[in-house]
Amino acid sequence: MVISDPVYFIALPLLTAFLLPLFGKIYKPLIGIIPGLVFAFIAYISFDLYLNLVPGKPIVIQLAGWAPPWGINLVFSEFSGFVVTLITFLAFLVWVYSYNFKKVGFDNSKKYFTLLMLLVAGSIGVVLTGDIFNMFVFLEITAISSYGLTAFYKGRDSAEAAFKFLLIGSLSSTFILLAILLLYKQVGTLNMAEIAVKAQSIDPKMKSIIAILFMIGLGIEAEMFPMNGWVPDAYSQAPAPVAASFAGMLAKSGIYALVRVFYTVLEVDGIFDLLLIMGILTIIFAEFSAMRQTRLRRMLAYSSIGQMGLIMVAFSFNTKAGIFAGLFLMFNHAIIKSLLFLASGFLTYSTKQKKIRDLDGFGKIMPFTSLMFGLGAFAIVGLPPFSGFWGKLNMLVATADSNLYFVIALILLVAVVEVVYYFKVIGRLYFRQQHKEVEVHKPTWNAIAAMSVLAIVIIGVGIYPDLITDYLTKATNELFDKASYIHNVLPNLSLN
Amino acid sequence: MQEFLTYGIYGTAFFLMLLGLYAALVKKNLVKIVIGLSVLDSGLHLLFVAVGYISNGTAPIFSPAVVGKNVVMVDPVPQALVLTAIVIGFGVTAVALALVVRLYRKHNTTNIDEIKNLKW
Amino acid sequence: MKKVIIIGFLGVIAYYLLSAFASVPFGADLIKGVKDFYLDKSPNDLKVANVVTSIVVNFRGFDTLGEVTVLFLASTALGSILYRRRSHDSGLNPQRTAPEASALVQTGAKVIFPFTIMLGAYIFIHGHLTPGGGFQGGAIIATGFLLMLVSYRKFFIEHNALTWIEAIAGSTFVILGLLGLVYANNHNFLENFLPAGKLNDLLSGGIIGIIYVAVGFKVGAEITGILDTLLTVKETGLDPEEN
Repeated sequence: MVISDPVYFIALPLLTAFLLPLFGKIYKPLIGIIPGLVFAFIAYISFDLYLNLVPGKPIVIQLAGWAPPWGINLVFSEFSGFVVTLITFLAFLVWVYSYNFKKVGFDNSKKYFTLLMLLVAGSIGVVLTGDIFNMFVFLEITAISSYGLTAFYKGRDSAEAAFKFLLIGSLSSTFILLAILLLYKQVGTLNMAEIAVKAQSIDPKMKSIIAILFMIGLGIEAEMFPMNGWVPDAYSQAPAPVAASFAGMLAKSGIYALVRVFYTVLEVDGIFDLLLIMGILTIIFAEFSAMRQTRLRRMLAYSSIGQMGLIMVAFSFNTKAGIFAGLFLMFNHAIIKSLLFLASGFLTYSTKQKKIRDLDGFGKIMPFTSLMFGLGAFAIVGLPPFSGFWGKLNMLVATADSNLYFVIALILLVAVVEVVYYFKVIGRLYFRQQHKEVEVHKPTWNAIAAMSVLAIVIIGVGIYPDLITDYLTKATNELFDKASYIHNVLPNLSLN
Repeated sequence: MQEFLTYGIYGTAFFLMLLGLYAALVKKNLVKIVIGLSVLDSGLHLLFVAVGYISNGTAPIFSPAVVGKNVVMVDPVPQALVLTAIVIGFGVTAVALALVVRLYRKHNTTNIDEIKNLKW
Repeated sequence: MKKVIIIGFLGVIAYYLLSAFASVPFGADLIKGVKDFYLDKSPNDLKVANVVTSIVVNFRGFDTLGEVTVLFLASTALGSILYRRRSHDSGLNPQRTAPEASALVQTGAKVIFPFTIMLGAYIFIHGHLTPGGGFQGGAIIATGFLLMLVSYRKFFIEHNALTWIEAIAGSTFVILGLLGLVYANNHNFLENFLPAGKLNDLLSGGIIGIIYVAVGFKVGAEITGILDTLLTVKETGLDPEEN
């Protein structure tokens, strides 16, 4: 029996989630500790598998003993392994942060950790699976757990945010299901690799309808315009570590699914142009709305949508440079945005309305948190020596490669806009006098630890980007090489 | 006859789906919106099962009467998929209704126009 | 005005969908796909008569695991959204607001209830032989409980018992899968490691029957829990205004 098996990524959180109520009856504090152990274990397996991955030979697990395409299979390749490692790393840090996050409370922590573990398991499932209906099931798991986590606080508005999220979410899952149905009727199989093989023989008009349905359906998780109405509300109403999870796990698995469908499963003319247009619209809409925000979390949420739009544009180039830039941006967004949300959790703890202007002078009374927030802001805008700089640089290089000069202009303009609204916050933190008497909630030791780890990663990759560029190049090559994916999953296929 | 069946059965499923979509997008009452989502799901499931049908096929169960004989069976895969889809739809509806109950407790109304606290 | 736009938009969607489906005639046999494999292997290798069951539990068992998780998630999210006070905390009893049902309904419910439970149990135990299975049987059991909940105001379900049943049934599914990692021929998750038996026998199909029984219990317990939570009004106390 192998210790490091990709099945554990999903089986262990599920088993623990089912048994957590029973653990709670035996010994209350176990509820906080056991998820941490599970997350630590799967993070360990993930790093172990990923760092020992042989290039060109992904790990393919056949579930229930049936070879694909008759059974469901999991594929742990350079690209999916990269995203899974990112997710498990963030999951562990989110647990560290929320271990005794006071607002989560002890009475509700059983539900909180159950939902959180299932959110992580669902995101990992979307990334690892090689079967398209299985992807839909895991998308639904992720979605329902996020509905529950959004409505976690008992305040007035969280239920409204969750309801809006649910409405948009279930409409889009209908579209995905419709696309799967049409696809099944055309090719007779649900396995991604086999669909990729048979996709050539589908009628092109049908293929474009299926592709559009997929884009609408998967666009909601990837925060594409106009399906991202739920993002500002959900990110601002959820608890801070949950918002960090949404940015780091939910959005990443959504964009992974989108990329996998359009690069490997279906090949449709003109879909990349459509993706480019949608990405540009997303960026414009999001960044200009972010400037107008007066509440900190909503501003961060709109900024997050803008980043996802940038990632979409990067993947729409369909070149190796574009994919490399997109992966770097994904990495940056996950780490830096999580740091920003975790920091904002304590910054807005004291202010009832979470308005930015209430944060005047917090630089003096909460020095560590403000420093973390400032670091995150510098990094995401793209200033050296932080990792955000390399991401934006690669993006500009890739755009120039594809001769899309107006996109370069857009990226630079957006960078200026970001500087404006982030520095507005930093200015208030450090350069204004505190004018409201508030009760200060200092961050707990584990929150400090979680934020420090993220900061160290940002600085580390910023100074020495070669730490990850090697892995990103391998992931790029794997994604671009459709034939080897098919060959690895279906080795017995005779290509006729 | 074939044409009539195709358009008739698919048309019913589409009609249900469009009806549910209309209700979910246009209606103001929260409960009616949730009902609309549920009707949309039902239409989609009907479409699934209809797509799986094979002419003159029988149910895919090898009961003692059928074992060993060469019979045409309908496609069992969409039926398995729709089982999963029905359960998922039920789960989403349950969560939606819980949210409706909570919204009603807070705002004392089920009209979605009056529950728009979160603006720009 | 908004309604007109939406109707126009729906019309466009309808047109595209109809044109897509016009090329998929009703009842046609599609190009060669996976279903022939399933129809062949199920009675011969797995010795399971109901092909849909063998697909749901064995070939695509991972989907079923996800589905069971979705139900569990729905009931947990419901419990988190509709926070109910524990009765031993506040000492108040949860009440149902519906008026007491008439004598006809009450008597009828008391008579039908045990038969409903029996029917549900029959369906999920014979899931691999006859149409139906764990989900269908569980839903029927929950309907029986719903009938009793609606007819009698004083009919209470012990949520503790439901929690235990859910937890044990759910973990049975995952543990059976993990056992497949250890004992089965190819060491894969959810692989069948018990002998398959004879076709159309009650004990055929290896772990398929056992999984479906666990699923039946879990689904019944979960749907009953969801219905009970929705029907019971939380005791009035001040809602804590947290931010």
